[in-house]
Amino acid sequence: MNRLRKKLDHLISIKEKALVAYLVAGDPDLDSTLDLMHLFVKSGVDIIEVGVPFTDPIAEGPIIQKAHDRALKNNISLPNIIKLVEDFRKVDDSTPIILMGYLNTFSFHKELIDKSDQHGVDAVLVVDIPGELSISSYGISNPNIDSISLISPTTSQERIEKIAKNGSGFIYYVTLRGVTGSSNLDVEEINSNIKKIRSYSDIPTLAGFGIKSNEDARLLSEYSDGIIVGSSIVDMITKQSESRNFDRIGEYLRGLKNAIL
Amino acid sequence: MKIDKQKFPDTDGFFGEYGGKFVPETLMYALEELEDTYSKLKDSEDFKKEFYADLSDFVGRPSPLYYADRLTKHYKSGKIWLKREDLNHTGAHKINNTVGQILLAKYMGKKRIIAETGAGQHGVATATVAARLGLECHIYMGAEDVKRQSLNVYRIKLLGAHVHAVDSGTATLKDALNEALRDWVTNVDDTYYIIGSVTGPHPYPMIVRDFNSVVGFELIDQSKALFGRMPDAIIACVGGGSNAMGAFYPFIDKKETRLIGVEAGGNGVSTGEHAAPLNDGSPGVLHGARSYLMQDEVGQVKDTKSVSAGLDYPGVGPEHSWLKDIGRAEYVAINDQEALDAFHTVTKLEGIMPALETAHAFAYLDHLPKDFDESTNIIVNVSGRGDKDINTVAEIDGIKF
Repeated sequence: MNRLRKKLDHLISIKEKALVAYLVAGDPDLDSTLDLMHLFVKSGVDIIEVGVPFTDPIAEGPIIQKAHDRALKNNISLPNIIKLVEDFRKVDDSTPIILMGYLNTFSFHKELIDKSDQHGVDAVLVVDIPGELSISSYGISNPNIDSISLISPTTSQERIEKIAKNGSGFIYYVTLRGVTGSSNLDVEEINSNIKKIRSYSDIPTLAGFGIKSNEDARLLSEYSDGIIVGSSIVDMITKQSESRNFDRIGEYLRGLKNAIL
Repeated sequence: MKIDKQKFPDTDGFFGEYGGKFVPETLMYALEELEDTYSKLKDSEDFKKEFYADLSDFVGRPSPLYYADRLTKHYKSGKIWLKREDLNHTGAHKINNTVGQILLAKYMGKKRIIAETGAGQHGVATATVAARLGLECHIYMGAEDVKRQSLNVYRIKLLGAHVHAVDSGTATLKDALNEALRDWVTNVDDTYYIIGSVTGPHPYPMIVRDFNSVVGFELIDQSKALFGRMPDAIIACVGGGSNAMGAFYPFIDKKETRLIGVEAGGNGVSTGEHAAPLNDGSPGVLHGARSYLMQDEVGQVKDTKSVSAGLDYPGVGPEHSWLKDIGRAEYVAINDQEALDAFHTVTKLEGIMPALETAHAFAYLDHLPKDFDESTNIIVNVSGRGDKDINTVAEIDGIKF
């Protein structure tokens, strides 16, 4: 059993909700990313989602897009990111790590991704492949690496069933129509869709996109097995990229974790 | 091998190994909805009647196939015929597709129209059909292109559409497409996205090809009427590839016709500074489809270079990638200077000022195969007129207004 499944099973057994935090590898630089990952864990984060920068990140809002651009200026690519995960594992061998990115970069490094469990990666989330497919459809199949599928408010009943049955690790429920960092959460819709997903699958369902405040976090955690927070963290990283003083991010994450307890 | 062109794309949207639907999950339902609507409507008599009536009375079709006497004498390599898409309403082939897609939007009850544009021709063609139906319209355009194509930007605004200058990434067509996709993800319930080329996720490459293949079907009839047989070659420029695909598609199973696509060679293919993925790219995934792509050694999309905004795109329609691999079409590249020279040559010899995109197709007349002689019939698809490029050409020629 990989770290991700172990962690989620454990949280469910103690009736806690998972806090997943996202950052873009190499923004503002790889050393800061490593420091931030450790800070995340210290501040109550259960699972880390590492963004793999891409030139054309079509699912991202302006905050995360700009982080991708900055990382690309630092020449960050998958080989550096795998090295980053290895460095992180020297200190922390239990926090699950998910790589999140776009098919073109992943399929360009198929062999690297296929063996990435040996370097400490637990799951891969490819934003631009249809949910009923997984990375194995693209020649990357390793039972130790979960392929996280997305379900959105517009996913049809028929496809919810297919995706839910096909997913591994957890189902990522996209809470709104829009790119990362948008607003306007529709709680009733979220609740009813997550119920549908659970009727087809036993794997946990986590909710992400549009979570900014402790209140958002608390509300969504009532209906899901955990929450995923990205843009608001990346925004804080951006604002502190000169000083490299990320203490406020620690406070912010502790607030979120307390809100979902 | 006989190619059954009806069989492509397959039910998953693939042309061989190219195409597909590589989009965020939120858009999957919109693509399915579009596919369902299109498969129901495309053979319905009412829909066809409405589409062809608009092509005839609003666009001004059929466009002539015109014998270019002085170009023929100039090149001495065959009879040169021009498919006059430049004479269409709004000045380019782009209107064929937008007239069709706005009908789909109408049947689907969508109230809001979005589109990306490079040279601005697709933006104009979209704003035009949206104005005609009184629909709210938003056009995404790279900030760099807003500068190079200021005339078209103003035309789009006059038509009542909103222009959004996109300054992310390289601030050109690919970034406009990214932004349009983001808009669509956000407003998917009430918004129809009119993609302007045979690119993007399935079913777009098929739909855009089908609507624009009126060009090729007219060419079959016109060739029979004017020279009694099928042409020996059709030459068309390729950015995303919609004008070429529209002309090529009806000829895919007519082996006597050579299909020649001309990509933008920018500073020259060997310099790496160009927009010619079929000549110097490798398969990758961008904007929802797998196709030839200009990318670097770690799978990041490369910057492109072309004097023509409409060809300045790192990807290409998946059906072209397939036609290249199976050897049914040939793809060549013409650099900026050759295209500019051809722009002047055609303007002076024929009194027809081609778009800079189209000038790439004309420039290939300098490189015609050696076995072409005076009995050869060559068609150049004049995808658009050059009025929009006057500022660009003047600037290059050192002229200030």
